[in-house]
Amino acid sequence: MPTVSVKWQKELFPAVEIDTSQPPYVFKCQLYDLTGVPPERQKIMVKGGLLKDDADWSTLGVKDGQKLMMMGTADEIVKAPEKGPVFMEDLPEEEQVVAVGHSAGLYNLGNTCYMNSTLQCLHSVPELKSALSSYTNSGRSNELDQYSHLLTVATRDLFSDLDRNVRPVAPLQFLSVLRKKYPQFAQQHNGVYMQQDAEECWTQLMYTLSQSLRSSESSEVSGTVKALFGIDLVSRIHCAESGEESSEMESVYALKCHISQDVNHLHEGLKHGLKSELEKVSPSLGRSAIYSKESRINDLPRYLTVQFVRFFWKRESNQKAKILRKVDYPLELDVYEFCSDELRQKLQAPRQTLRELENAKLGLKTQDKNSGSKENDANIPKSEGPSDNSGEPSAITHEKATSSEKKVQLTGIYDLVAVLTHKGRSADSGHYVGWVKQESGKWIQFDDDNPSPQREEDITRLSGGGDWHMAYICMYKARVVSM
Amino acid sequence: MESLKYRLLGSEGDIGSWGHEYVRNLAGEISQEFAKRQYDDMPIDALMELVQQIVAFHMKHNAEPEAVDLLMEVEDLDLLIEHIDATNYKRACLYLTSSSSYLPSPDDVLALDIAYTIYMKFEDYASALRIALFIDNNQYVKQVYTSTEDLLLKKQFSYIIARHGLALELDDDIAADDDDKEALQDIVNNVKLSEGYLTLARDVEVMEPKSPEDIYKVHLIDGRASASSSLDSARQNLAATFVNAFVNAGFGQDKLMTVLSESSSGGSSGSWLFKNKEHGKASAAASLGMILLWDVDSGLAQIDKYLHSNDNHVVAGALLGVGIVNCGVKDDCDPALALLIDFVNKEDTVIRIGAILGLGIAYAGSHKDEVRVRLSLIMGDPKVPLEVLVFSAITLGLVYVGSCNEEIAQSIIFALMDRSDTELNEPLTRLLPVALGLLYLGKQDNVEATAEVSKTFNEKIRKYCDVTLLSLAYAGTGNVLKVQKLLGYCAQHLDKGETHQGPAVLGIALIAMAEELGLDMAIRSLEHLLQYGEQNIRRAVPLALGILCISNPKVNVMDTLSRLSHDTDGDVSMAAIISLGLIGAGTNNARIAGMLRNLSSYYYKEAGHLFCVRIAQGLVHLGKGLLTLLPYHSDRFLLSPTALAGLVTVLHACLDMKSIILGKYHYMLYILVLAMQPRMLMTVDENLKPLSVPVRVGQAVDVVGQAGRPKTITGFQTHSTPVLLAAGERAELATEKYIPLTPVLEGFVILRENPDYQDDR
Repeated sequence: MPTVSVKWQKELFPAVEIDTSQPPYVFKCQLYDLTGVPPERQKIMVKGGLLKDDADWSTLGVKDGQKLMMMGTADEIVKAPEKGPVFMEDLPEEEQVVAVGHSAGLYNLGNTCYMNSTLQCLHSVPELKSALSSYTNSGRSNELDQYSHLLTVATRDLFSDLDRNVRPVAPLQFLSVLRKKYPQFAQQHNGVYMQQDAEECWTQLMYTLSQSLRSSESSEVSGTVKALFGIDLVSRIHCAESGEESSEMESVYALKCHISQDVNHLHEGLKHGLKSELEKVSPSLGRSAIYSKESRINDLPRYLTVQFVRFFWKRESNQKAKILRKVDYPLELDVYEFCSDELRQKLQAPRQTLRELENAKLGLKTQDKNSGSKENDANIPKSEGPSDNSGEPSAITHEKATSSEKKVQLTGIYDLVAVLTHKGRSADSGHYVGWVKQESGKWIQFDDDNPSPQREEDITRLSGGGDWHMAYICMYKARVVSM
Repeated sequence: MESLKYRLLGSEGDIGSWGHEYVRNLAGEISQEFAKRQYDDMPIDALMELVQQIVAFHMKHNAEPEAVDLLMEVEDLDLLIEHIDATNYKRACLYLTSSSSYLPSPDDVLALDIAYTIYMKFEDYASALRIALFIDNNQYVKQVYTSTEDLLLKKQFSYIIARHGLALELDDDIAADDDDKEALQDIVNNVKLSEGYLTLARDVEVMEPKSPEDIYKVHLIDGRASASSSLDSARQNLAATFVNAFVNAGFGQDKLMTVLSESSSGGSSGSWLFKNKEHGKASAAASLGMILLWDVDSGLAQIDKYLHSNDNHVVAGALLGVGIVNCGVKDDCDPALALLIDFVNKEDTVIRIGAILGLGIAYAGSHKDEVRVRLSLIMGDPKVPLEVLVFSAITLGLVYVGSCNEEIAQSIIFALMDRSDTELNEPLTRLLPVALGLLYLGKQDNVEATAEVSKTFNEKIRKYCDVTLLSLAYAGTGNVLKVQKLLGYCAQHLDKGETHQGPAVLGIALIAMAEELGLDMAIRSLEHLLQYGEQNIRRAVPLALGILCISNPKVNVMDTLSRLSHDTDGDVSMAAIISLGLIGAGTNNARIAGMLRNLSSYYYKEAGHLFCVRIAQGLVHLGKGLLTLLPYHSDRFLLSPTALAGLVTVLHACLDMKSIILGKYHYMLYILVLAMQPRMLMTVDENLKPLSVPVRVGQAVDVVGQAGRPKTITGFQTHSTPVLLAAGERAELATEKYIPLTPVLEGFVILRENPDYQDDR
């Protein structure tokens, strides 16, 4: 009976006796006692391979004092989890969008970046998307012309395409309808479609949508587009000479930011834009006189559009020339000072609530730091504060909230969500790009078919003053509180 | 010819009486006259008489290079031995060995032979061993062992051999005593490598495991933090698996694979493993082998449980892992062979490949007969799936690297002839010629018979095979003529879609990497190829640069690769990215790490590129910066054939990145393990226990043929061992208290106390 030493992992069992008259299985049972490894999991290395349960000791030639090595553990065998993980690569394309974190780009179909950038900016408005999706093909009412209807349908389809794809989309259908509805976009020069003014495209598209979505019966809120983007202005027209005064109401879709020598900031530009002078016949004087017009906001939209009046018609060169002046704009815009007294009154309470909420949040946060637990952060009651518009519920939940016990109130404070920029020296040339904040809070630059992530600091650098991209249209989203 | 003429006619007084310049002039004339007389078949006795005198004069006056030059001209190097003494043998031998790389074929071995004889004569056995290993002469190696009775010295020899990767079976002549023999054999078998490596790791305090996120350092990337999606991407997880394996290689602990073995309480167990998809699971299971590298005892125990899995991919990975753990480490019980050999003939292809490749990695360079017998059966079976055949061939190539084994060569050749056209078009087929070439790695002319046979192959692979054989047979020789021949291949314009220019470009790098001068010339030639070459050439250039400067991030190469990593051609940029990883392998080079971080945000949308970036990041932090992939060691003099074989195989796989590395054969990246070695200097005492001594580490200076006793390192810093050595660095002891047993301080060095040492205090 030879005695061998058995090495198992880092242990060594000296002097294990082998009963050569018994099959090796018996030897393995001996080792089971020593190591706790079940015999069927033991692997014992002898010359020429593993020791088999039914091998013959005599043929193996095990010598006295030989060192054997045993492998095997009593560890649990690794089992595959019942539900394997889902891999991004396995998902159908539309679900990959979620993983990528932004929607698709749009192919440039030949000088159509003005249209692409406009579409990308508007595409970021979830309320508009949901209003469009409830627009039905048959929903066309009689007062709407056919092309407006078709354009609305094309917009709806394109927006859903953008949401479903990872790869860039070619907006062929939309472009052809747009050109039919607004032939000015089909202008050609030397057989090539010309570059157009993105602002014009924005305004026209907005107008069409306001027509079609209002007339459609499916959208319950009357004038969805108006509620989302419309700004009511009340203007006081005053004639210094005669002392006449009148007031008038109008509704616009964008505030204009006039750029002059002494405008350095959006605020100054807006103030400028709300004041104007006009010449008209004064009934009391019986001749034309200079009237000054001063407008104030009477009703605020969910999304505030600001247009930088960067282009002016230059007669000598016969084109829309650009003002390169740097005009800063904030990520957070407060329009309180442009509001009418009536509106200010209305805003008082919500603003107060918002302030309290923010203070509470800050207060809570400091408390949290004191207690040292991070998990509590998640339990802070959700206010629609500046930082969490990432998780902001979409339009549908807004409406639900409105109908239920709480009412969503505007505060007059707005957060920047989209910027349409222009690069180049005139409106009909150069390049337009859309910069859009995603629901996740990240900024994406949509340069035609190539979306790429950007930092928030870089967004405020688009304020002009050089040959880099500069903001042409900014879209702000209202910060709201539920009361 | 004037002075020689009158010298021969005139008086025969002391040759040195007319001064050095006269002697030097005379030597020049003798070499001309010698060539002339030899051509005319005239007697040369009178000349040789003079040569004797001149050599004696030179050797006496510290002009060894001149003496050696003259003797080389008159083809009588043996004369040197008579004139050499203990004071000048080192300089003479240094000149001989370093000039040998510029000599044509038989002369270089001759010069080295002389150097060996001289070293033996002056009992500088460690230096003699280096020469013996260089000319790959096992007879000489044994002779070195038997010439001394000093056991400690023999142990030092064993350390050198272990680093070289030579599988040497010690016999009774070498050590009569059984215990001594076992101790020596253990060193040759690298049994203590893991222990030494971990000692080093503890000393430089890098034991803490690192996760892939620690390597990616996303927080340092401007703005473009990659989309933090809640979903797992199979490819990104696979990349993380590799990064984790490379970074924690040999440490025995990590944050993905080994954590679960401690908390194996069900549910979460194997969770990372199953975050990989299909063959990704194979790589994940095999990564365990990488993490437990060289630690056979606990490594096999941890892998064991995966061998019982019911998922074939996991089993395959575990088998490969068994091979990786045993890489370069041999054990009497041959656990790898015992475990793997039965799986070779299993039904499932994946399992078979896992076992076969595992054998190849575990027994690379060992000429293991059992492996050959078993795999030859597979090679001979025409029904075997192509992938199994290819991996069998690769394994045979690795195990029998540089053996010129006829039988194996035949079986690969038959496979190449038998397989159908469609099979020859498979991307994996490109590895069959590589396998064949490995058998002749560095064996120069021996390849000719096989190269002749390869001319009869199907024309699809004929050229490919020819170029591959040529480049591998002359790999590491610095043969200028072969480099020119390969450059010639690259100058042709192909219109039949042939692919042999890729291996030709790699071949230039493989041959030219032998010494610094050729290396610099090759880098310049590759720059030209980049500008004038066609696309299939340009795709191989980054890889060629990668192997030329492996683990040696030269700034100019780094810049070229950084430029190429933004190339519009996807294959070029991917190869450049991988190569950035190769040149920075194990250096923790901050500049490359920064480049790769930027690339990771640049290519954040392209899965293939991003995968390459991740692999490269893993390589740069290989073993947390303690490992190197450089196949050269011992003062960049010796070339480890197994290390080179591993690198070559992976590079050829990278030539078709899309279908091999990005396809389902990504586990081929583990073949790099053959080249992984700790880049350390570990000093041990006479009981082989680590001993900390002060050393100076600095940039190596080339002192060949320089007058006096110049400093061998420059810009040095003093550290205490164990210490890390970067490429091109050299160490010397900063204390007189100990005497090292080898002239080259690298790897394990045994120190013996200096009997003459007196403490100053």
